[in-house]
Amino acid sequence: MFRPRPAGQAGPAITILSYAVTALVALACSLPLFYIVSTSLKEQQLLFTYPPNWIPSHLYWGNYSSLLFTTPFLRWVLNTLVVAASVTLIKVLIDSMAGYAFAKMKFPFRNALFVIVIMTMMIPFSAILIPLYFTIFNLNLLNTYWALILPPLANPIGIFLMRGFIEGLPSDLENAARLDGVSEFGIYLRIILPLVRPGLVVLAVLTFLTQYNSFVWPLVAVNDQSMQLITTGLATQRSVWQVNYGIFSAGAVMALVPIVAFFLLLQKQFVAASLAGALKQ
Amino acid sequence: MSKAEHRRLRRRYGLARTAIAFAFLVPNLIFLTVFLLMPLVQVFIEMFQTGGLIEPIRFVGFRNWERLFHDPVVVQTLGNTLHFAVIIIPTMLILGLLIALVLQNVTRGSATIRALIYLPVLAPTVIAGLIWLFLLDPDLGAFNLFLRLIGAKQQIWLGSTALALPSVAAMEIWRSVGFWALYCLAALLGMPRELYQAAHLDGANAMQRFRVVTLPLMRRGFLFAIVLATMFVLQSLDYVYVMTDGGPANTTATFVWYIYHALFFFYRTGFGATMAVLLLLIILALSLIQMRLLRKRTGG
Repeated sequence: MFRPRPAGQAGPAITILSYAVTALVALACSLPLFYIVSTSLKEQQLLFTYPPNWIPSHLYWGNYSSLLFTTPFLRWVLNTLVVAASVTLIKVLIDSMAGYAFAKMKFPFRNALFVIVIMTMMIPFSAILIPLYFTIFNLNLLNTYWALILPPLANPIGIFLMRGFIEGLPSDLENAARLDGVSEFGIYLRIILPLVRPGLVVLAVLTFLTQYNSFVWPLVAVNDQSMQLITTGLATQRSVWQVNYGIFSAGAVMALVPIVAFFLLLQKQFVAASLAGALKQ
Repeated sequence: MSKAEHRRLRRRYGLARTAIAFAFLVPNLIFLTVFLLMPLVQVFIEMFQTGGLIEPIRFVGFRNWERLFHDPVVVQTLGNTLHFAVIIIPTMLILGLLIALVLQNVTRGSATIRALIYLPVLAPTVIAGLIWLFLLDPDLGAFNLFLRLIGAKQQIWLGSTALALPSVAAMEIWRSVGFWALYCLAALLGMPRELYQAAHLDGANAMQRFRVVTLPLMRRGFLFAIVLATMFVLQSLDYVYVMTDGGPANTTATFVWYIYHALFFFYRTGFGATMAVLLLLIILALSLIQMRLLRKRTGG
């Protein structure tokens, strides 16, 4: 007789009101993004017309072609993908290894070491920016992919997450395999990794997003035009393009398309990853 | 097997196990040491030095700290950062909670609506900043076109010392409110339904249920969110860098913006390192609060 409705037991009036309000909020959140899609397909002089027309009468692709032919934008996309994919792959591998060791193995100083790793989570990146620059400078790696890939690997959040995921796995399978003489690495590879796959996806999405978003360190670590990422490339183009918002919008749209597509594919993991990532930020 | 032999085998087995465990940990430990711990130690050494980039390194004791406290820009950028925090954090969390409260009543089409609300979160901060740079343009931007439409006075937004900081803050609120909405929604959906039913049967109306059930249950999650958001806002540089680069007249310059400038514009590494230590101390204090909250959450 008492059928629980989703939380607050909303009546029809409240439900209708809720739909109206959320629709409005959704509109406010997404409107700027649709506006730049429209702008990216307009000729520059159309931006000066008043009142502005939302849907351009004909689609103008000139902004996209000038973005692609006057800047190394495709190179920036390639750099971003190379860096983000490398960091993601390496992180997933080494963090699941460390997570496994912390979750399932017994060794001296395990807890002390884990506490130290957790403590390093508190080090804000902006505080070590200057010495990190010198580290990369001394290693003679400025302006290389290494400069972009190596420092982000030093992020303990993944160890913390993977330990949590692996700790929850039952130990029976591992123990059975161990009795059968499977090596620790074999157990990790053939038992732990397949079982913890949802966790690996969350970590991969989180790492990829963080890399795709990263700006301050790439800004510091590389200054060649051809070594920029999408974010730093577009940002440094600001003074060149001035108020040529058509090209800007084209760049922003191109930067957003892959991440939105990725999001629509993996919506659940995205939200899980960003909630997990909140721990670090 | 003799007792001694047994002990020897056991020790060897223990050693082997330790070696294997460390083999699993070593890649991570190397990266953490070289790119996190060593720079951290370095920042404390540089705090007592000047030079290093174009001048030779000199030991100056606590001179950098003295300079820090006498530098008006340090005070100004700390003030701006605080100003950002005071505008952004309450607005973003309260809006996030309100959106979550209505979102929980939405069932049909909720995936689409959530996706639309979440879209700005997907935009890299810098890209979001560039988008708003356009929206806030005095001649071509959507905000002024709208003001013109309703016949109000147009503004120069990022060019004005009074409006630049709130405008940048508005961008950041737009970018992150979707995230906090889903954070609050997750918390709301995770609440025990029986409490609501009990309150309902006791005759509590929606407002009372919110005040007596929802708010107390969300308190810890909310405190946690405040600490997280504060740590995040304290470190803001990227959107400021693309939108105003600290201007006009340093009114939007954040503390981390000044650290960045100390190194790459003024070549004052020691001074920058000293500011970094100050930032570290502030964040550390916040982290301790966060740890306490986390421990309570898992313990309780």
